[in-house]
Amino acid sequence: MTTLRVLTRRPGRVIGLLILLLFALMAVAGPSLYSGTLAVDPNAIYSSPSSQHWLGTDFAGSDVLQEIVVGARYVLETAALSALFTAVIGTAVGLVAGYHRGPADSALMRLTDFVLTIPGLPLLIVLSTIWSFGQPYEMAIALGVTGWGGVARAVRSQTLSLRERGFLEAARGLGLSSRHVIVRELLPNLAPFVAMNMLLAVIAFMGAEVALFFLGVVPFSSSNWGVMLNQAVFSGGAMDSPAALSYLLAPLVCILLITIGIVLFLDAVDELFNPRLRERP
Amino acid sequence: MNRLHRLRAPLALAACAGLLAACSSGGGKTSSSQLVYTSVDATNPITAGAPMNPFNASGNYFPSYDTMQLGFDKQNPKDPDDFFPGLAASWTISSTGITVKLQPGAKWSDGTPVTPADIKLSMAIALTQGSATVGAGFLTQGLDVGSVTEVDASTVQIDQAAGGTNLNFARLVLGQYIVPSSVYGSLVPSSIWSTIDDLASADSATASAAVTKLNAIGKAVSAFSPAKDVSAGPFVIARVNPGSAELTRNPDFYALSKIVPSEVILRHFSGNSDIWGYMKSGELDSAPYTSMPTNILDSVLKTGYTRVDSASFVDAAIAFNESDAPYGQAAVRQALAYVIDRQAVTKVGEPVGGTAASDLTGMVESATKQWLTPSQISSLNPYSPDQTKAASLLTGAGFKKSGSQWLLPDGTPWKITLQTVSGFSDWNAAATVVSSELDSFGIPTQVKLTSDFATYKTDMAAGKYAVGFWLIALGPSASAAYQRLYGQDDGYTANANGTVTHADGGGNWQHTPTSYTVNGTAIDPGLLTAQLATLSATAQQTQVQQLALATNEQMPVIPIWDYTNVNFTYDKRFTDFPGASSPDINGLMYNQPGVWMMQGYVKAK
Amino acid sequence: MKTLIRRLLPKLAAGLVMIWAVASFTFFLVHALPGNPGDAAYENYILAGMPPEQAQAKVASIYGFTSHDPLLAQYRGYIWRLLHGDLGQSISYSGVPVTHVLRAAAPWTIFPALAGLIIAFLVGTSGGALAAVKRSSRWGGVLSMSGSFFAGIPAFVLALVLAFLFHTEWNLLPYGDTSDVTLTPGFNGPYIASVIQHAVLPVATYALLAYGGWLLTMKSSVISVLGDDFILAAELRGLHPRTRMRYVSRNAILPMFTMFALSIGYLLGGSVLVENVFDYPGLGNVLFQAIGARDYPLMSGAFLLITVAIVLANIVADLLYTVIDPRVRR
Repeated sequence: MTTLRVLTRRPGRVIGLLILLLFALMAVAGPSLYSGTLAVDPNAIYSSPSSQHWLGTDFAGSDVLQEIVVGARYVLETAALSALFTAVIGTAVGLVAGYHRGPADSALMRLTDFVLTIPGLPLLIVLSTIWSFGQPYEMAIALGVTGWGGVARAVRSQTLSLRERGFLEAARGLGLSSRHVIVRELLPNLAPFVAMNMLLAVIAFMGAEVALFFLGVVPFSSSNWGVMLNQAVFSGGAMDSPAALSYLLAPLVCILLITIGIVLFLDAVDELFNPRLRERP
Repeated sequence: MNRLHRLRAPLALAACAGLLAACSSGGGKTSSSQLVYTSVDATNPITAGAPMNPFNASGNYFPSYDTMQLGFDKQNPKDPDDFFPGLAASWTISSTGITVKLQPGAKWSDGTPVTPADIKLSMAIALTQGSATVGAGFLTQGLDVGSVTEVDASTVQIDQAAGGTNLNFARLVLGQYIVPSSVYGSLVPSSIWSTIDDLASADSATASAAVTKLNAIGKAVSAFSPAKDVSAGPFVIARVNPGSAELTRNPDFYALSKIVPSEVILRHFSGNSDIWGYMKSGELDSAPYTSMPTNILDSVLKTGYTRVDSASFVDAAIAFNESDAPYGQAAVRQALAYVIDRQAVTKVGEPVGGTAASDLTGMVESATKQWLTPSQISSLNPYSPDQTKAASLLTGAGFKKSGSQWLLPDGTPWKITLQTVSGFSDWNAAATVVSSELDSFGIPTQVKLTSDFATYKTDMAAGKYAVGFWLIALGPSASAAYQRLYGQDDGYTANANGTVTHADGGGNWQHTPTSYTVNGTAIDPGLLTAQLATLSATAQQTQVQQLALATNEQMPVIPIWDYTNVNFTYDKRFTDFPGASSPDINGLMYNQPGVWMMQGYVKAK
Repeated sequence: MKTLIRRLLPKLAAGLVMIWAVASFTFFLVHALPGNPGDAAYENYILAGMPPEQAQAKVASIYGFTSHDPLLAQYRGYIWRLLHGDLGQSISYSGVPVTHVLRAAAPWTIFPALAGLIIAFLVGTSGGALAAVKRSSRWGGVLSMSGSFFAGIPAFVLALVLAFLFHTEWNLLPYGDTSDVTLTPGFNGPYIASVIQHAVLPVATYALLAYGGWLLTMKSSVISVLGDDFILAAELRGLHPRTRMRYVSRNAILPMFTMFALSIGYLLGGSVLVENVFDYPGLGNVLFQAIGARDYPLMSGAFLLITVAIVLANIVADLLYTVIDPRVRR
């Protein structure tokens, strides 16, 4: 009940949720909505929005709206998967390091420092020339493996502070196994924090993945939003001619919408999990 | 905390200053009263931190502006030695060498004259830049300079090494960069010419030691960073920024009266879209060829640019690895040529800078027109889109159609993976259309991109791609064009003794057969191609015709479009640019505006 | 002072180990790339209209700078030269020392990124404090929302939007260079004005990117300090709200220093995208070109420079933290 009240307290939060649901639907149902390959029409290149093509057409006369819908799955699946990888690796590393402390902690933290120190985007650019990211999970693994440092560090410090709380000392005093303490006592307390981090990671990874396609370093075999941006800017001249503008703006607006959606929704999650934010009336 | 407070004031001040400066756009220019010519050098984008040295791979040097050659190529398919004069006022070509008469009054920007010693040094340096090789390549393809002799103060004779038979010798000599011995002389030991003599030594140890020695000198030369630019061209570099270079007129240039701009600014670019942006704001007085979509063409023309078309001797094609079934069968390649609508593909891939290939001879169309007789041209198969013909060819080769999909003769479904490269946006756009056309014909086609050209080339040479995009018909000469089809990539090597060997090993990814039958006679395309390199342009006719007809029939590659060299000129600040009707327009447009100016074009408006 | 040094030394040692680890990692990673510098260059020359012979010769000269030693021997040589401050010779620049190339590009990343970071810090922390205090009002909500928005928006999307609006649409700001080339570089008014004018777009992008992070961190930090007992005590004692705010901000700003190091890394990594969109000739652009050209030494060098900057920023942040918070000095 509180959840619903918190959600509806500001209309923005509902809007945020709706935006996210819309895109989730697009990712799930999009490709089956339009089956087969995109139709090309060399006689209608970069045509402006019309009743036939709501968002105009691209360099080959394909429908932009159709590309947006079909392209959503790769982008969102990758972002969601990589956020999941990050959460799992980061939480595991942070929990073990923070709970056991000692040599395990310092070894894991050195590793974390290493991951945090290597410049992420340049590393991904290099990785993309070695590894072809044909499937969403391949890209997600690369993003997840390079991006878990921040989560690990934050989870560790949370664990350190939770460790000193009474209920954990009691559990340890009762002689419960570390595994029990970690899984049953620590993890549930960390879950909200990790969930919020995951939502933020979705935005960050969506940005990183689209950026790689935009730069043109990842060989792309199908249309997705990053590919569209790359084509629009570097071969469609969208920055210099109004004809390709809708082709540029469509994916750009989608990325901005998802960012706004998550930000708005996060506001509600934040308040739910962080009672301190709820002000004294 | 107080410490932070104190920091804040100057920072705020700096921020304000930034905003103010941003508002007073471009104040305090030093050159407002001068005639500034702005352009882009397509092959030499400005590179931060690179030396002003034409032998550096990323060097900041600008041919025809500050970097001179003896002559500048006119891109004449029938006469490879046809050049605009550069530092050479005239020349005579003999079977063993070339005698060059230097421009009277040619001077470096430090006031000293250009001498035969400079030419001699430049030829020696050229030999250190990777052309140093021994064996057959040295005498038949490379710049096999044997000696440079001063005839008089302004005449110099450059001869091929003993036994040299390279038909391109004169053209290679004319195209070398000429650098001042006052700047580069100290990098080259005086013994270099005896090292060069050793290249032709019969003792292979001596010869390869000479190669090593020359390469070491070459490394020192290309890494060298002169303190300032010394130029014999119409301009000299005044300053190189990370994003643009400023060149000022060279008061010592031999034909100063022809050079109107007092200054040239060359902008950096990292992609075509940067050049479009400069043009859209009317910044460039001329722009080099960039691949562009029609909407950009329209906006550029609206800004006031004039389009100048000239031939570009490059062709985009789809190539096959014939060792991969079923692409070894000519009928299959011919059928695919009938399915692909080259007009439609070109419209999407290269709508402005390309024309759909029509003759399909392995050469660009303008070259084909010069080599073949009208009756031969009319006998060429144009492969106009025709799905019925394609289907009957395939059925004849044992293919079957099940429902809407074609099956290979062994009954498995036929699928194509069409390979292209990330960053080659015209190929990628074209591939979308090709795959859609093949799809609807009944061959499911997937477009696959390799991340960059380095990988693409390696994988291609390793035979990893069955069907992929490729550039063919490179350069105006027929020899170069066919070398691309029936040369190294096809397993052919020209040997020192004049014979040609064919090996199926490494580097051979095209795997075309060693014998084609054309009009009842069997020809070996690799052998004919190797012969072209040893024949003068006038003696090549028969071989070129045979190769053209064979290529048209066998379709080892399907040419898609001929690139057109589309340049733009802008007559708001300058006028009298070369135009479509100017003589030698192909050559002019192939070269930078510095050559146009030397030819008397480009006047103040 | 002594405690400070005792604190600094292990940090420095750890930093050096980290730099060695990253240098080794990037060395092997970079050499695992498919393709070689020569192949990367040849067809690009052809496409740009260079005749095959000339392109071949240019490629051959690049080939001379590609090492053909076994990888381990190359690695030993690399680390040995690194110890002497030598990053090797660039391949795509035909043997120009890597340090020289990096030195030419580094200022054009460091100056805009730092300027952006500082502007973002000033605006972000003030905004964060405000958002925390006014978190019940509509403006407080909008402020924190703006923070989340800019923290989340991908760097290149922001850069594209700015480039489109300020360069293409309104033609207010230039891009593609560091200054007007006709001006003499040096400490003179017109040149500095031109440099600042050309840097406005990248600086604004960096600033907006970093702004969100500062704002959100400051906000949550202030909120947690506001709940602390000593603030409650001050409130009960009836101290002036402004005095109270000073207590709050002084305590809330402490965690920001750890974030500083992370921001530096984030901005330097993001410079690849920002500089790519604005065609601004900094380190990010050099690194991107080097990857495309398979210029191993230059790639390793640029990677290393960014790593060193991040490690240094970590150490400096740590030191500042010590200086400002007496509790840490114990």
